Amino acid sequence: MQPKVCLVLNNLGNFNRAWTQILRNLGIDYTLCIATSTTTGANIQTPQGVFSPSSPDLRGYFRQFDAVILCENTNNLASTSLINYSVFWMGWNDPEDPAFLFFNPHFSAAIGESAYNSNFPSDFPIVRPNPSDIAGTLYAADGGTASSLVLGIGITGGRGACVLFPAENIRAHVISICSVQSNIPYYWKLDTAKHSTLASTTYTHRVARNGRAGEILAVPAPPTSSEDTETYPADCVVAYRYRNSFWLPAALHRRQDIADDRNPYLFWLLYGLQLAGVRPRYKLPVQMETDHPLQAVGTGAPFNHAITTQMGILEASWDWMRDFARQRNTAIVNGLVVGTKYRSTDVGYHWNLLYSTSRTQAERDAAMRVHQILVAGHREGTTPCGVHDHTIGTNGYWGGSTAAGFVRHSGLRYGAPNDVPIARGRCCVAPHVLPAGVAGADAQTVQVGDTELIEWDIPTSGTGTTFDLPAGSVHAARIIIESEIEEMLALGFPDGYCGGHKYTNTAANNSGGECYWQALKEFGFRGVRSAPECNVPYRTKCVTPNRYWNGFHLVPHKNLDNVGDSYSLGLYYPDAPAERHAVGTYRLDHSGDISANWTTQPVAAWRAYRRVLCQLMSRWLSTTAVALGGAYFHPIHCLMPVSPSRVLERFDGWNILNAANQPHYNHAVELLENMDAVVRLLPEYLYWGTITDVMDHRERVMGG
Amino acid sequence: MPVRFLRNASELADVSWETPLPVQVANAKPVPADTLLVATTTVTADANRDLLGSAATELPTLDGCMQYRKLVWFYFRASAADTTYRVLARATDQNGAPLGAGWQEIAPATPLPGEANSWNRIEIPATTDGYYDQYRIEVRLTAGNSYTLTSKIVGVR
Repeated sequence: MQPKVCLVLNNLGNFNRAWTQILRNLGIDYTLCIATSTTTGANIQTPQGVFSPSSPDLRGYFRQFDAVILCENTNNLASTSLINYSVFWMGWNDPEDPAFLFFNPHFSAAIGESAYNSNFPSDFPIVRPNPSDIAGTLYAADGGTASSLVLGIGITGGRGACVLFPAENIRAHVISICSVQSNIPYYWKLDTAKHSTLASTTYTHRVARNGRAGEILAVPAPPTSSEDTETYPADCVVAYRYRNSFWLPAALHRRQDIADDRNPYLFWLLYGLQLAGVRPRYKLPVQMETDHPLQAVGTGAPFNHAITTQMGILEASWDWMRDFARQRNTAIVNGLVVGTKYRSTDVGYHWNLLYSTSRTQAERDAAMRVHQILVAGHREGTTPCGVHDHTIGTNGYWGGSTAAGFVRHSGLRYGAPNDVPIARGRCCVAPHVLPAGVAGADAQTVQVGDTELIEWDIPTSGTGTTFDLPAGSVHAARIIIESEIEEMLALGFPDGYCGGHKYTNTAANNSGGECYWQALKEFGFRGVRSAPECNVPYRTKCVTPNRYWNGFHLVPHKNLDNVGDSYSLGLYYPDAPAERHAVGTYRLDHSGDISANWTTQPVAAWRAYRRVLCQLMSRWLSTTAVALGGAYFHPIHCLMPVSPSRVLERFDGWNILNAANQPHYNHAVELLENMDAVVRLLPEYLYWGTITDVMDHRERVMGG
Repeated sequence: MPVRFLRNASELADVSWETPLPVQVANAKPVPADTLLVATTTVTADANRDLLGSAATELPTLDGCMQYRKLVWFYFRASAADTTYRVLARATDQNGAPLGAGWQEIAPATPLPGEANSWNRIEIPATTDGYYDQYRIEVRLTAGNSYTLTSKIVGVR
């Protein structure tokens, strides 16, 4: 049985292509149907004909699908029509009828169309939102403040929600917007009498997992701390099943152009599909990456963490992450900063933390404990590490035309004192058109992708260690990558490409270009993480459109740091620049309801916690389900706000303080545990996997 | 143990040169163009200097080009110093030997277009089709100081 769904929309002009991208990634077949208007008088245009929305013909047509999805939503409850044509479908409840998925549906009391109101089920248990009586028909969510950005289209400015799923008994942070008015998110109000009747009415349909006509699917999770005063009445619901219709929060942005990793609500699409019994051909692998797994940052205010303290934070967190990966059968792949053995004296970087005499013995010992966790994790497959080099020229691969004063390694094939090519030859001619007797004595064949050229008159390194290295050739790439791998070997790793995954996350997400991809393939890599512009700031090269070059993967990236610049000062930090804390970085201070209340109302910290987790979980899930990419964070940059004596404690507001007397927050633990909750909620759709699974899946669904 | 595959609906075949495994080309589209040359030339006043720096007049710059209808020469010149270019071409026999001595001059010495630090493009031949076996492309400084000319030549079928 092939999974198949029907998407109903009003027009393609503002249709978010992520709807279909996600379905393709899941291997779910789909059909698009267009409604000719927003009213009950609309016709539904299907590939098999145009049907009246109330017609038996349409009902019969729908029965071939596992689910029918209503794609449209609005942020204006005063609107008199949007999906009025769907009202008839709420009465199509036979076992042969499909599930209907409504995401942030418009069923406002402002709809005056008599055909809508007379056909609206009288026993429907969610109170219809009334724009003239918001307080009596909806519950304001997430503090009830107006959003800093337009809700429903922004890629930052997420809203917070901790949701309890009663049937699964799981709490998860997922952005949940049931209705919107005046840019404020709302949850729904339940008519408890009607719900009680439905919940005791026997109903037979494959999606009625409790055998009843009504089921509460999700509610705001009750607070876990007395500080958290953001509570909701018992009749407040986030998601509900009415017979075979699912009333769910918004699933995707109302934007046309973002079939990528910026769809913050898509949890609800996955959850809805799962509830509807749509069994995808493929599950999606969930995995996490980090950059700079061992690094030190400043020791100054406000935390004043000594280097040994920072290493202690990393040691505890990495020990926990390694254990997490072991239990979930995932691999947290890490871009380990290399190049510092030869090309950088920055004592904050990996090699120098371990071996620089500028570090005290205690500091080196503390760093070595972190390092040993990574090496052991690499060998067992839980924390595999790969090269990640910020020391070449400007930044990452081919970040500038020339890496001035480049210092190479010793030995191996491209190290000193070997005299090796450092740039393309002055003359390069394809072998099939190369005249006899023309090529110089130093001629050699160089292949990059499909192009093979005979090069001669090639600039070489001489026997020295230091020289200016033109960065844009396969010769330069070979020297650089070999030096990086040599350093990984010297650090005790058996390889430089995350073991069997043969992957790494490139520094600054610069993958270089064809010459670097070729050289990486030669050294055994299968893929790397790469930004669309793959040699910033030089900016002469973009990745191939399908991100797949001669069997080599260029995996999209997404940053999940809780900071925009330097290291994080926490969820929020008063009077600090916005980019130094998570709330500022992601524009989560809606109507100033965090900044204005931070020191006076403890709930503000919980609000910040919910919003940060929701924002970053949504970015991670989008990266997983839409872009099939790699999401990552920088551990020490994100972990400075933890309490050094209680590193692994979960967030508990002002009950646990960090060294700056602000709420303790461990980004690694919180992110992974919350994603674990999402994975447990979606066993049919997600699994903890690895970057290998991601690349396998890209090949499976994206083709050549 | 030979590797076998279902050659058609009912026939099992051993993998061999005559019956290779069926494959589907992925991530590759037929492109009727090949990169033939990438070169950095120091343009001087020397006579008969080609893009590869050779002054041996009988040596082609490119050989075996019969499959190409056109050569497209892209170049970036570092100076506007007065320069001429000349394109010579000829056919060979089945053994690769030129049919006769010398060359057919398909583009006589002509000012090389472009200002300093400019991108330019020349089609060879300028009109009609090529299909010559050998080409020799010469550049020569006629006034001013020598400079660097970076070229790429693409063969178009």
